[in-house]
Amino acid sequence: MKHFFSKYGVLLLVVTVLLAVLLSALSYFSATSSILRNAMGVVSTPFRAAASGVTGWFEDKRRYYADYSALVEENQALREELAALRSDEQQAQHDREENKLLRELLDLREQRRDFVFESAKVLEHSASNWTRTLTLNRGTSHGVAVNNVVVSSEGYMIGIVTEVGLNWCAVQELVDTDTEIGALVFRTGDVVIAEGDFALMQKNRLKVTYLPPETALLVGDYILTSGLGGYYPSNITLGTVERVETDDNGLAQYAVLAPLVDFDALTEVFIIKDYEIVE
Amino acid sequence: MLTRRDIIIKWTTICAAALLLQLMFSLLLGGVAILGVHLFLPPLIVGIIASLEDTHAGALFALGCGVLCDLVLPGLFPCLYTVAFALSALACSYLAKNVVQPGPLCSLIVSALTFGFVDVLVMLSLALTDHAPFVGMLSVALREMALSCLLVPACHPVLTYLHKKFTL
Repeated sequence: MKHFFSKYGVLLLVVTVLLAVLLSALSYFSATSSILRNAMGVVSTPFRAAASGVTGWFEDKRRYYADYSALVEENQALREELAALRSDEQQAQHDREENKLLRELLDLREQRRDFVFESAKVLEHSASNWTRTLTLNRGTSHGVAVNNVVVSSEGYMIGIVTEVGLNWCAVQELVDTDTEIGALVFRTGDVVIAEGDFALMQKNRLKVTYLPPETALLVGDYILTSGLGGYYPSNITLGTVERVETDDNGLAQYAVLAPLVDFDALTEVFIIKDYEIVE
Repeated sequence: MLTRRDIIIKWTTICAAALLLQLMFSLLLGGVAILGVHLFLPPLIVGIIASLEDTHAGALFALGCGVLCDLVLPGLFPCLYTVAFALSALACSYLAKNVVQPGPLCSLIVSALTFGFVDVLVMLSLALTDHAPFVGMLSVALREMALSCLLVPACHPVLTYLHKKFTL
């Protein structure tokens, strides 16, 4: 065995170490994506798009036939939700008018949220069991940059752009273990942290940690981005609280957060390239 | 003894076959999760080829595959597959030349071994950076390995046929 590895292993080890250092250095010194990854991304984008198109077509057909009864139930539930939302909308209309009147009386500036969106198609859902990423068909040539926020058509947060190539970008999904976002509880205004967790990632969930001691989270509480630090825009919905648990050492509590997005069903998303919020 | 032209044709064909296998896998099983895990084909191809071919050639193929995977797939660190595939190719080659005769059983063992190398590096990385629970990681790794190894009967005949066609 010793002879085998001394005969074959040393040269291979040297080449492996050199390649590993090269790949790591290229990745470390790049602000968007390493030059080699960028090139491979550009070359593989058409193939990914083709594969995504074929699998998407099969998935559509499967869902069309498999989910009919579920769709009927969902339709009924949505009708009930719509009725409730119509009632809320009437109340909201009244509140908006009252709010406008009060702002005029107090001479307050109007709140404004300007987002610059870029629509993108999902080329690939990562098939890795260790990370959760999406590959989109937009890149630096469309003005996309690292740390841009990606949202669904309903405005729910999907993830953060972590790598950008010429015509592609990689998005780290909200449930990935590397996620760490400043957040707040909509009902109470408490500032918390939303972070990925390996065990919860397998169930499409993430953790809400650093809960202030006086915070009493309720199931269904909305968790939004806090916008603190200016990295990401504020008030983008991350998800709702599913349950509250005590951590392993029994000292602190954390909440399990259920994102409002079905990551596996995403085909079209929106990248927030730039934003201005006046509050 | 193969001429340079034969060697080029052989490895071009093997690379094309590997890409074709990956493409077919992506089309048929790409987005499918079984028992909560996605199957992963590259370790199978790397392990089987390393067990069939000469040690240097198998290791170089594994290095190439590793670099390609690191450049195309999302990974926990930039050289994950390069390191894991190169080391596993060496181990697979040793196993095939000294312990188990190349064949279906050997392909199954080397595939599991290659997964072992990848998963150990992944688990170490996750444990150090995210303090992920060991039991949870092990469960995912074992499910991924066991289910992906079910694809050995599809890969082994193709790669063995190419090996025999160009070598014997």
